[in-house]
Amino acid sequence: MARGSGMLVTYALGSCIGICLYDAQIKLGALVHIMLPLNMEAGRKSPLKYADTGIRETLKQMEGKGARRSRITAKIAGGAKMFEVSGGSLGNIGQRNIESVRMVLKREGIQILKEDVGGSVARTLLFDVSNGLGCIRSYGKPETII
Amino acid sequence: MEIRNYDELDSLQIDTLREIGSIGTGNSATSLSALLNKEVRITMPEVRIMGYNEAIEWIGGAEEITAGVLVRMSGEINGIMLSVQQLDFANLVLESVLNKTVEDYSQLRNIENSALVEVGNIMISTFINALSGLAGISIELSVPAFTVDMQGAILAVPMAEYGGQSDYIMTIGGNFVCDDKVVSCRLLLSPDVRSLNFLLRKLGVNGG
Repeated sequence: MARGSGMLVTYALGSCIGICLYDAQIKLGALVHIMLPLNMEAGRKSPLKYADTGIRETLKQMEGKGARRSRITAKIAGGAKMFEVSGGSLGNIGQRNIESVRMVLKREGIQILKEDVGGSVARTLLFDVSNGLGCIRSYGKPETII
Repeated sequence: MEIRNYDELDSLQIDTLREIGSIGTGNSATSLSALLNKEVRITMPEVRIMGYNEAIEWIGGAEEITAGVLVRMSGEINGIMLSVQQLDFANLVLESVLNKTVEDYSQLRNIENSALVEVGNIMISTFINALSGLAGISIELSVPAFTVDMQGAILAVPMAEYGGQSDYIMTIGGNFVCDDKVVSCRLLLSPDVRSLNFLLRKLGVNGG
C-alpha cells in the first residue's frame, strides 16, 4: 500500500491475479496479489492469498487509512492459463480466480475500471500510485497500460 | 504419522525423498545421456520445502524467461512434475538433436519446441518409472504441456494447484552435469499432500 506517490509491483502473475485498489481523491493505492479463488483454510493463516479474504482485508486496511469505499476503484490483471493440459481441472485456476475476483469486487461495491485477464502469458504488474495507472509487462509483447 | 503440511516432514522422511530424487534423477540422467550421446552426471539431489518467495529466489528470479515442460500425474499418486529448462540446457539439447543453437527463446520454432518437450517428457517419464517401480505403485502421466514464459509464473502452477493445502512447495530433484558444466535443468516433483503420505507409507517411513 502506498499514498501520494510510489510504484507497487508484483512479478510474474501466472494464474494469480493482481488487483490494484485506488482511492483517487487521496491517492491511496493498494496492490493485492491473490493466488486462489476462495479461502477455505480453517486457521486463516494467510488471508491475502485468496481472492475473497484478500480483497476484503485490503479494503479494510485502506479504510483504516482514510479511504472511502464509494471512491475506491479497481483494476485487475492476471488469471492466465500457463499450461494447456488435456483433461482434469488443472489450468482452470486462472479462470476461477478471475470469476471470484469479479464477484467479490461486485459484492463489495467496487467498480472495475479496467482489466487485462486470461490468455496464456504471465504478467508483471506495476501500479503507479501517483496517477492510478497500471503497467503490464509480458514476455514477447509490448507493454500495456491499464 | 500422517503429515498435513510439507513442513511437517521429519528427517527420515526427507532422507527417503532425497533417495527417490537420487534414483529418479539418476535414471533421467541415463536417458538424457543416451539421447545426447554424452556423459551426463548428476549433482547431489535436493529435497526442498520452500515458501513461494524462497522458491523463486532458488530458481533464479521471477521474471527470468525459461522453458517449462509440465506433466500431470494421476492414478495412485496425484501431482505435477515440471522440467524447467534454462537456455544453456535448451541449447545443449538443440545442439545434439538438431545441430543448432539459439540466442534466446524467441528464436525457438515448432521443431525446436518439440525437441525440448520430448526431452523433458522422456526425463520426467524415466524419473516417474523409477519411482513407481521403487514404491510398487502405478502412476499415469498426462501428455506433456509446454510453455516459454516467466519462471515465476511457471513455478506458481504447482503452488496454486496445491496452495489450498499448504503454503509450501516441495521439490525433489537435482541438476545435471555434462561436459564438466552444470546445466540448468531442474526436475521438480510436486505431489499433493495426500499422495505424499501414501508414497511415504508405501516406502515404509510413515509410522502410522
